[in-house]
Amino acid sequence: MTATAQNRIEEDVWIPTCCGQCYCMCGIKVRRQKGVVTEIEGNADAPSGRGSICVKGIASSHLLYDPYRVNYPLKRTNPDKGLGVDPKFVRISWDEALDIIVEKLRECRERDPRGAYFQATTTQASEIRFGVIGFMKGFGTPNYWVSGGGLHCGNGAHFMNGIMHVAWSIIPDFAHCNYALNFGCSKGHGAGHVAVQNATQAADARFRGFKNIVFDPFQSAQASKAHEWIPIRVGTDGAMALGLVNSLLNEHRIYDAEYLMYKTNGPYLIRPWDGRYMRDKETDKPLVWDLIDNCPKVHNDDSVTRVEYEDEAHEVALTGSYDVDGVECRPAFDLLKEHVKKYTPQFVEKVTGVPAATVSRIAKEFGEAAEIGSTVTIETSMGPKRIPKRPVATHFFRGTQGHVNSGWTCLSVDMVNHIVGAADTYGAALGLGAAVGGGYEGTGKPYQIPYPCPDGLLVARTWVYDHVPYPMRVPKPPTRLDLHDMFPTSIYNAFVITSPRWNEILERFKIPYKPDVMINFGSNSVMTMGNAEAVTENFLKKFNFIFSFQLYVTEFEEAVADIVLPDACFLERFTPAVSFPSTFSHPQGEDDWGWSIRQPVVEPLHERRDFNVVMLDICKRLGIHGAYYKGLNDSIGIRYGGAMDERYKLVEDGSVEHSWEDICDRLLKDRFGEEHGLEHVRKKGVFTWPKRKEDVYWKWFNPSRVPVYFEYFIDSGEQISRLWDEYGGKDFFEIDWSRFKALADWYPCPSHTETSPEYDMFAFYWRAVMHCNSMTQQNPYLDECSQEDPYVYAVQIHKDTAAVKGITDGDHVWLENPQGHRVKGWVALTDGIEPHHLAVAAVAGHWGNYMPIAKGKGTFFNDLVEMDLPHTDPLTFNQDICCRVKIYKAD
Amino acid sequence: MNQTQSLSAGQPSFLELSMPRYGMVIDLKRCYGCYACVMACKVKNHTPPGVFWSRILKGEAGTYPNVVRQALPVLCMQCDEPSCMEVCPTGATVKLDNGIVIVEKDKCMGCKYCMMACPYGARYSVDKWESYFPDGLELSPYEEFAKQAWEERSGIGVATKCDFCRDRIAEGRDPACVEACPANARTFGDLDDPESEVSILIKKYRGEVLNPEFGNKPKVYYLAPR
Repeated sequence: MTATAQNRIEEDVWIPTCCGQCYCMCGIKVRRQKGVVTEIEGNADAPSGRGSICVKGIASSHLLYDPYRVNYPLKRTNPDKGLGVDPKFVRISWDEALDIIVEKLRECRERDPRGAYFQATTTQASEIRFGVIGFMKGFGTPNYWVSGGGLHCGNGAHFMNGIMHVAWSIIPDFAHCNYALNFGCSKGHGAGHVAVQNATQAADARFRGFKNIVFDPFQSAQASKAHEWIPIRVGTDGAMALGLVNSLLNEHRIYDAEYLMYKTNGPYLIRPWDGRYMRDKETDKPLVWDLIDNCPKVHNDDSVTRVEYEDEAHEVALTGSYDVDGVECRPAFDLLKEHVKKYTPQFVEKVTGVPAATVSRIAKEFGEAAEIGSTVTIETSMGPKRIPKRPVATHFFRGTQGHVNSGWTCLSVDMVNHIVGAADTYGAALGLGAAVGGGYEGTGKPYQIPYPCPDGLLVARTWVYDHVPYPMRVPKPPTRLDLHDMFPTSIYNAFVITSPRWNEILERFKIPYKPDVMINFGSNSVMTMGNAEAVTENFLKKFNFIFSFQLYVTEFEEAVADIVLPDACFLERFTPAVSFPSTFSHPQGEDDWGWSIRQPVVEPLHERRDFNVVMLDICKRLGIHGAYYKGLNDSIGIRYGGAMDERYKLVEDGSVEHSWEDICDRLLKDRFGEEHGLEHVRKKGVFTWPKRKEDVYWKWFNPSRVPVYFEYFIDSGEQISRLWDEYGGKDFFEIDWSRFKALADWYPCPSHTETSPEYDMFAFYWRAVMHCNSMTQQNPYLDECSQEDPYVYAVQIHKDTAAVKGITDGDHVWLENPQGHRVKGWVALTDGIEPHHLAVAAVAGHWGNYMPIAKGKGTFFNDLVEMDLPHTDPLTFNQDICCRVKIYKAD
Repeated sequence: MNQTQSLSAGQPSFLELSMPRYGMVIDLKRCYGCYACVMACKVKNHTPPGVFWSRILKGEAGTYPNVVRQALPVLCMQCDEPSCMEVCPTGATVKLDNGIVIVEKDKCMGCKYCMMACPYGARYSVDKWESYFPDGLELSPYEEFAKQAWEERSGIGVATKCDFCRDRIAEGRDPACVEACPANARTFGDLDDPESEVSILIKKYRGEVLNPEFGNKPKVYYLAPR
């Protein structure tokens, strides 16, 4: 593998692996000439990317060889921690570093292993499946955190998309979609999951006449390519979506009755007194009203069930009122239809700024473009099958869901799809990453076919995290430092851990241990969560000991790390599963499945070591490697679609020490057969197998329904609030339990209700194509591109607004929020932004001393993000990332 | 057919007919301004800071809310009547039979007249090679490689420019910027072949060049963002 000195003279090889600049993990080929990585291109063999990569991937040689990389372990000698504190790092040996770390972990384990807290980056979504999960299970801690990922981009979106599409996100079936409503997301235009592939697909779609209508406060990349750009006030997408639902249902009367009857809980009869399902007395199953037999039936009675489109069944009621044992019940759809009436075009205009006529027009265009009733025949593994063709889709992601109304906004935007039956069928909104598959023919793994719960609703068989989106976990007395076992409707929260009363909260909620050791893998949570001071003082400084695997010394390590370990980057390590279980790299559509791996293109430079190799080493030193292996054996069965075969399982009694390469090899052989281990798969960097068409368009092949009426939120809300009250939680936080209800609504953010005329601008951040998370401004190639671009490092403001405020192009300015937090930037004037908005790109504005290329570039928007409950969605605990600010010139 | 006779008769010779006349088409409907082309060129050609043989200009037109931002990828237009060649005092800049305009660096005296003459701003000259890490640090193996590659192939103190990745074309590949584009917005081929993809795109979608009034007869065509 490693070039010998002799070979280097002539060497010119291309090595297939996967990029790691973001979480899309496109397949790449890396050129190594004379032992030096010189070029990176896409790998045409990999379904993730199919030969294309983005600007970040191409620029990766500077990441590998950056002289500012952490190249040897560092120890903090200044016991003081905090923003602006000089850590006084000294270089130490790996032996010393590991001795200290293992000792601290051992002490932590003796006090209480749950005091260990793992914090990880979202970009290396596959690496954490092993080093993090295995360690947590082996060590015995439930505490895990992904910093900004989740808070800013996931709580709402992944949860809701998991409920509705058994995927993390939704995306138009670009190959066949004709008309899409894009709610301010960059999918297909440079960012988001499956970024590059979606960009290729979106470009092809544009070329053939696909129309993308973009709702966005500014001329983003997607808005600039749109068929129509509709400026919208930030954080109001949910109101717009409900306006579209109302217009479709009550104004234009366009909806897909067949889809609603057989694929949603729209026909489920609802008890009038508490909003819950009317259930059959004997079976306890939800009831529907059979319009032919004129009686109630259980939801999955054969006479009222259509799994495949060609199946026949009696029609069931979607509207009206029906007597069930003397109780007048209405179908859920009828309640929804009535509920959304208040979202008139006029109301929507007031909230969003979009003209009423536009709301009505877009709804009509969307409804008509859906071609309700049309079908297409596809070739499945069972022969030709007819399925609905619905060539429309709404889609959204971070910008739309990053608000106090996150959960309901996501559901509302997706609801528009379900009204017209445009979900997981031909041309429609598909789950991304594709999450339905029968597995490789030879082994049947990874198998991930969703199934219905007893109430008939969709359950994901394989899910990336313990937080399965549905069915709702019953809230438990908390054991986690963020109390998160109490909250089944979200993935993470920040308002607990960044509260200045965190210690008090832990005592009140009877958490019998305190934050002890934090293990950080690649995250810069000082910059990526919210207000840096709050995060550092209230959360990070509470830990006794923090060690961090990092590529650079970031603001996080500077502020709070005791030991920094030199991490190997994606060009320097093995990862046995990159595109699984990650949902970020599978393109939707009919292309093959691809199980990608990483392999080192060069041995780790200097004293860098692979995170997974080090974590294995730590586990061995602690004597917990057997439990670590058991943790992996168990989680692989769940996360990777099928239990481990006994032959390949890791030995759990601790008698064997598996090497990292051995673990990689066993996993691959277990999934794909003895002949398809590491040596085989590394030849192309990926193992592929064909996708069945019925797995691409799975809706009309699966017996599951999805909710348009979220009946079980009522139970969840009651359970959580009851448990919360047992601890007297409202002494700390008044959570708005009214959000736990069955029907969607739009709620304003603090930015919408701010009354002070001084804070007259709406500020938000957007994704620039050359940046991901917080590290990329340090890459001088990417920094140079950013400086070429007129907007990436600037604060965008409408030129007329600027003129009124006496601000000119290039001026340095402050943005200050009502809480008194302010950030600095420089201004770019534009016509391409709603005049009351300000746009800032990326997680930028670095101030750290160890990333000099990144330092001072762009604006640190996140300092304006308040971490408190008023800026948190009560339903999903997503962070609110819009804010009102005043803008004024800096001296 | 006698080549000399046919040339003097003003008709294309058999040899000339068989040589492609290379050009490029950039589809502005497909392009979303992602900089992959910029970076692919930079990495493949090891261009130092500030040198962009492939570049993206970003413009904005209209008044809110009727505004469009447009990315415009630009590069050397490989003109059929290049201003650079016209002014070059040493004959270092030549147009090859396949239409690609190159600089023979050993003949270039670094007068930069061509840089001033090029109306598309496509030429760059590097007086002193610079690292991307401006702190006087030891060069990384990558930058050592890049410096050597630049000095050998493109040179210090001389004019440099895009050459349509001549070396890749010789291997039957497309230029780096064309291969790299995720949107498949760039197409490369023979403008004299009416069946080539570039010719068909230009005809079907009314491809136009930038600033035809300069009179350079550029060979990079743009499809409007229709």
